[in-house]
Amino acid sequence: MKKWISTLLIASTLVGCNSGSDETVSKTNDQKDEEQQVQKTEVVFWHAMSGDLEKALNEIVADFNASQSTIEVKPVFQGTYEEALTKFNAVAGTKDSPTLMQTFEIGTKYMIESGKIEPVQKFIDEEGYDVSQWEKNIVNYYTVNGTIYSMPFNSSTPVLIYNKDAFKEAGLDPEKPPMTYSELKAAAKQLTKDGKYGFSILNYGWFFEQMLAVQGGLYVNEENGRKGEATEVAFNGKEGLRVFELIYDMYNEGTFYNVGQNWDDMRAAFQSGKMAMYLDSSAGVRTIVDSAPFQVGVSYLPIPDDVERQGVIIGGASLWLMKDVDEEKKKAAWEFMKYVTTPEVQAKWHVNTGYFAVNPSAYDLPIVKEQWEKYPQLMVTVNQLKETKATPATQGALISIFPQARQKIVSAMESLYQGVEPKEALERAANEINRELEMAKKR
Amino acid sequence: MPHTVKRVIEGGMYILPSLLLFSIFVFYPMIRTLYLSMHMTDFQGNPTTYVGFEHFVYLFEDRNFKESMKATFLFVIYTVPPTVIISLCLALLANEKLRGIQLFRTFFSSTLGMSVAASSVIWMFMYNPAVGVINKILIALGGEERQWLLNPDTALAAVAAATVWMNIGFAFLILLGGLQNIDSTLYESAEIIGMSRLYQLWRITLPLLSPTLFFVITVSLIHAFQTFGQIDILTKGGPMNTTTVLVYSIYREAFVNYNFGFASAQAIVLFFIVLIVTIVQFTFAERKVHYQ
Repeated sequence: MKKWISTLLIASTLVGCNSGSDETVSKTNDQKDEEQQVQKTEVVFWHAMSGDLEKALNEIVADFNASQSTIEVKPVFQGTYEEALTKFNAVAGTKDSPTLMQTFEIGTKYMIESGKIEPVQKFIDEEGYDVSQWEKNIVNYYTVNGTIYSMPFNSSTPVLIYNKDAFKEAGLDPEKPPMTYSELKAAAKQLTKDGKYGFSILNYGWFFEQMLAVQGGLYVNEENGRKGEATEVAFNGKEGLRVFELIYDMYNEGTFYNVGQNWDDMRAAFQSGKMAMYLDSSAGVRTIVDSAPFQVGVSYLPIPDDVERQGVIIGGASLWLMKDVDEEKKKAAWEFMKYVTTPEVQAKWHVNTGYFAVNPSAYDLPIVKEQWEKYPQLMVTVNQLKETKATPATQGALISIFPQARQKIVSAMESLYQGVEPKEALERAANEINRELEMAKKR
Repeated sequence: MPHTVKRVIEGGMYILPSLLLFSIFVFYPMIRTLYLSMHMTDFQGNPTTYVGFEHFVYLFEDRNFKESMKATFLFVIYTVPPTVIISLCLALLANEKLRGIQLFRTFFSSTLGMSVAASSVIWMFMYNPAVGVINKILIALGGEERQWLLNPDTALAAVAAATVWMNIGFAFLILLGGLQNIDSTLYESAEIIGMSRLYQLWRITLPLLSPTLFFVITVSLIHAFQTFGQIDILTKGGPMNTTTVLVYSIYREAFVNYNFGFASAQAIVLFFIVLIVTIVQFTFAERKVHYQ
């Protein structure tokens, strides 16, 4: 009894001691922080990463802040890319403007035309920074008129994700995912039963753009708007029609499941076994593999039969530097941008998310090799990009009205489920986007 | 004469504060909207070139605008009458003097305390085709699984149902307040002359409640025209623009597509629609309103 009491006493004093010393430690830390912040250059960094991606990003920022003592990067989540862009629009050029901002690939032309940004090319030239260390397809995408405007950061590509267990059950080889449209249709037919569907594509313009590019189809004229100002759409040719016909046919055969416009709904439907195959961004691969209650396979974007695979467009986002902030802040932000594109950081980013490394030497690091053994699915995304041919199609379109264009494409995709003929749906979208292009010229 | 001038100045001083506030927050934005609606704008919303009525001309040719007008009017029809009728019934029930009636009054008005965003998320889960409770019940009753928010035939009705639920709390509370203001001696006299309950409702309750009813209907109508949150969360205007009501279309043009001029033109159209509806209401419906 006595012993018991004394143990308790000792324990409680220990606990007391501990908490006391903790407080003093944290206090001195706070003080130190405050003192340091006076001299530190603060870089406000707007981003659009949520969920697991935000966690991974915050880790990188914390590592950077700890790695040196003169710069403090403050990440601020600003909603989706679209929402962040709206907020940027409101504060650009004022003192509330961030120093650094993450913007998605289709915002590239918009950002350039806003006149509020500083091309990173300036720092690349000043320092003789070597961009040849980057993935060549990435340099390809972000070079506009010979200038690199923003720092590539998180790049992704579309992939086909499928349920290996469902493949086995349906008598399909789980190691042989469909590569062409006819294989896709056949597999989907076998996988469809008891209220479960074979295949699905999110109603989102990005997937249409990708399925077009993989066949070498252009989105707009003037070499996808890279040779000159695009004046007309080009997606309503045979390549675009093939994509719409695929969706239309599969939906009418009852093997295609309409998941709507919401990424989370789509992933939830896949995880609950509602459909066995779907298209996703490679950025979602790691989360899906971890959270699905079955074996997950990842494969290339399917292509029409007898068409040569051209590869995929870089998706994802890059980091933009603001023009109207202090030179000192710009320099600090440039340091951070260089840091996030180092092989070590990109390796960590790649294995934690599924975005591929901007700097391919990241793939030689042990951390990547180790994770690739655990998650061979991540390798697929890298290989798909490596095999991409650099053409105007896979460079991606450069237009400022991308948000509108995507809305029209989504509406057209939705109309396919209501029995509108693929040709008609495609033409309606094309006409509407042509008008938007015309309007944009008048600005 | 100087006396009148003095009075005008004095009167002007009294309304100056509110005039100032209205000018800043209502009149200036309205004039600016009108100005923008006749211009093309850059991405920051600064006017660039004058285009006159071109936006308006295009609006009336645009198929998408027609669709969103249709969606707006259907949405008003789907939400306002059900909201008013259901909350009136609930208010009549909750006006009875029964034991524990306070509990029901709290229940019926509780949706007033829910934010649009929170309730929309709850409804989104209920409508979910795979795990939502609505489909679960439907299937248990032998029905078929339905994609409520993805089917153009049901999407608008589904959003409207959620909206009715959200608006009932407010309408109920106002109507209950109106019912409690009715002099109880009128009912006592009616009892004495042997009037039936239904006749009392028709002859006493409704006429005396009419100012409150009028207020609830007007406010619900304007609310319905301005609905945004639940559309943004539940459907984002889809599928095939069937739920793109005018306000959502304005938002999308201005803050997603950065076409501030075109968006302003739509806002002007919306302003005139609400104005006309309100004038019509005041000239026709108000005659039936009985003020004590």
